[in-house]
Amino acid sequence: MGVKVRIPTPLQKLTNGKAEVECSARNITELVDALEKDYPGIKERLSEGGKVRRFINIYVNDEDIRFVNKEETVLKDGDNISIVPAIAGGC
Amino acid sequence: MLMITKTDFARILDHCLAGYPHEACGLLGGRDGKVAKVYPMKNARPGPTTYEMDPEEQFRVMKDIREEGLAMVGMFHSHPGGHAYPSSVDVEKAYWPGTRLPNYPSAVYVIVSLLDRANPVARGYLIEEGKVSEIPLTVTERQDSHISMH
Repeated sequence: MGVKVRIPTPLQKLTNGKAEVECSARNITELVDALEKDYPGIKERLSEGGKVRRFINIYVNDEDIRFVNKEETVLKDGDNISIVPAIAGGC
Repeated sequence: MLMITKTDFARILDHCLAGYPHEACGLLGGRDGKVAKVYPMKNARPGPTTYEMDPEEQFRVMKDIREEGLAMVGMFHSHPGGHAYPSSVDVEKAYWPGTRLPNYPSAVYVIVSLLDRANPVARGYLIEEGKVSEIPLTVTERQDSHISMH
């Protein structure tokens, strides 16, 4: 048993069209590495220099990892992870 | 085409006017090209030329949209001193960072110009594959009838 990850539409080409994938990881850094192993190219989309990219929000269940422990946020079996692009702009 | 009731359209305009002189923003839940629910939201980076949805509120609203059995058919924001057309920043932020992959394909970006606050102008756009295409907004009396084009 691992965690379930909801994949946003722009990354689903990398996950062979899957909107949800499962993997095993103890924290967000491990999760990104685990996803990269199964879906090469996804790490570069999600992070830069080991940090989650700005304008990408990651939630563990309903908690934004920025308000927990960022990339070190601990994961446990059965957690639901959501990767959500920010909505922003300006004229 | 994106259809929206007169009442929901007024909610968008009211929220944009209330946020003036800052940009205001929100999400649109619906199905089959029709808006069923307007979510006026907080601008977490308030300014006359910037907006960013509060990440927690965005997550909560997107969850609510799913739980209502709806889809995110669009999002809106205001241009307090600009035209109802996506800016270069709007276009850049519509894509996954560093790519030309639209973050929310098929969601309509509704932009409300408040250049004339007595007569706000709203227009809808798809931003995908490097192109901005206008999507007509149709304001309806009720969900099943339409009265005017914008």
